[in-house]
Amino acid sequence: MKGKTDMCDDTVEVDISTPVMDKNDRFAASNRKLFNEKKLYTLNLISSPGAGKTSVLESMARFFGGRMAVIEGDVQTRRDADRIEKAGCQAWQIETGGACHLDAQAVNHALGHMNLSPEELELLAIENVGNLICPSGYDLGEDMRIGLLSIPEGDDKILKYPSLFSSINVLLINKMDLIPYLNFDLDRAIEECRSLSPEVEVFTVSARTGEGMEEFCKFVESSFS
Amino acid sequence: MVDLMHELSLAHDMTRIIGNTLGRKVHLERVNITVGPLSGISPESLKFCFTEIARTEGFGEPELVINLTEAKLICLDCNTEYNARDFYEGCPECGSISRRILSGREFTVDSVEIDEGKDRHV
Repeated sequence: MKGKTDMCDDTVEVDISTPVMDKNDRFAASNRKLFNEKKLYTLNLISSPGAGKTSVLESMARFFGGRMAVIEGDVQTRRDADRIEKAGCQAWQIETGGACHLDAQAVNHALGHMNLSPEELELLAIENVGNLICPSGYDLGEDMRIGLLSIPEGDDKILKYPSLFSSINVLLINKMDLIPYLNFDLDRAIEECRSLSPEVEVFTVSARTGEGMEEFCKFVESSFS
Repeated sequence: MVDLMHELSLAHDMTRIIGNTLGRKVHLERVNITVGPLSGISPESLKFCFTEIARTEGFGEPELVINLTEAKLICLDCNTEYNARDFYEGCPECGSISRRILSGREFTVDSVEIDEGKDRHV
């Protein structure tokens, strides 16, 4: 016990003063150590369901090939891992069985199953479970946290989910091919994101048409080479 | 254990931390925690989950008292420091939303209150 304070009657208050994320943070530190040892630059990709995380990763897989490995987080099915493998990268699927986020311990477990020894491997991308709230509090040990927002979701989402958009290094706006058909104010979205993360890097892409993807991939590449 | 809301797994983490600190399972009267507006936590979901988890794990039915803090921000246009819980409002001095976040991610178990009179009879 860290300390006791006598209150009225028989009630005593016991000091705990412990961050609830302490266990996750210990696993995140252990992941970070492993990433450093293996010289792996790590991305944590977070968005709502259907924003295009897997499509972005397929496009990245075509750019990076065997230099990239992917951890896929989903509630069920290994469908996403199959898509990534078809696009040319090693992929490991975590099925969370209901949980709305990945935690550092689940990633640690997945790392134990993956082949991290290939000489060419230098990038690990973690696709989180589609959700704009729950994943935001869990450090996975990543070097770069990417928030993905797609045009059909609307330009007002950033300030609605400040826990995520205040914690990202990169804002990736996807489905730019749809912008002529929808009222999405790009300047507003970027300004509001900078109001939560002043140094955020912003890229506008369409994973479907490939627009902007090479520029984004080269930026990721320049972060570790 | 399927954790449909992340508040459910966080409630487990809270009882783990309390049990580890106390070194035993005790019927608790009250649990005091601090939650920042950028922690990604829904206070209502956490209250709902925590009472259930605490009861099933042998900590009685403690009241969860949440100290909801405000984020601390600094305006990058006029350097005013201000507090906010919602991020739609800009700087109270100049209205700018150009700012840096100084704090707001807190999520800690601060203390627990135990009725020693009751505890003796557990």
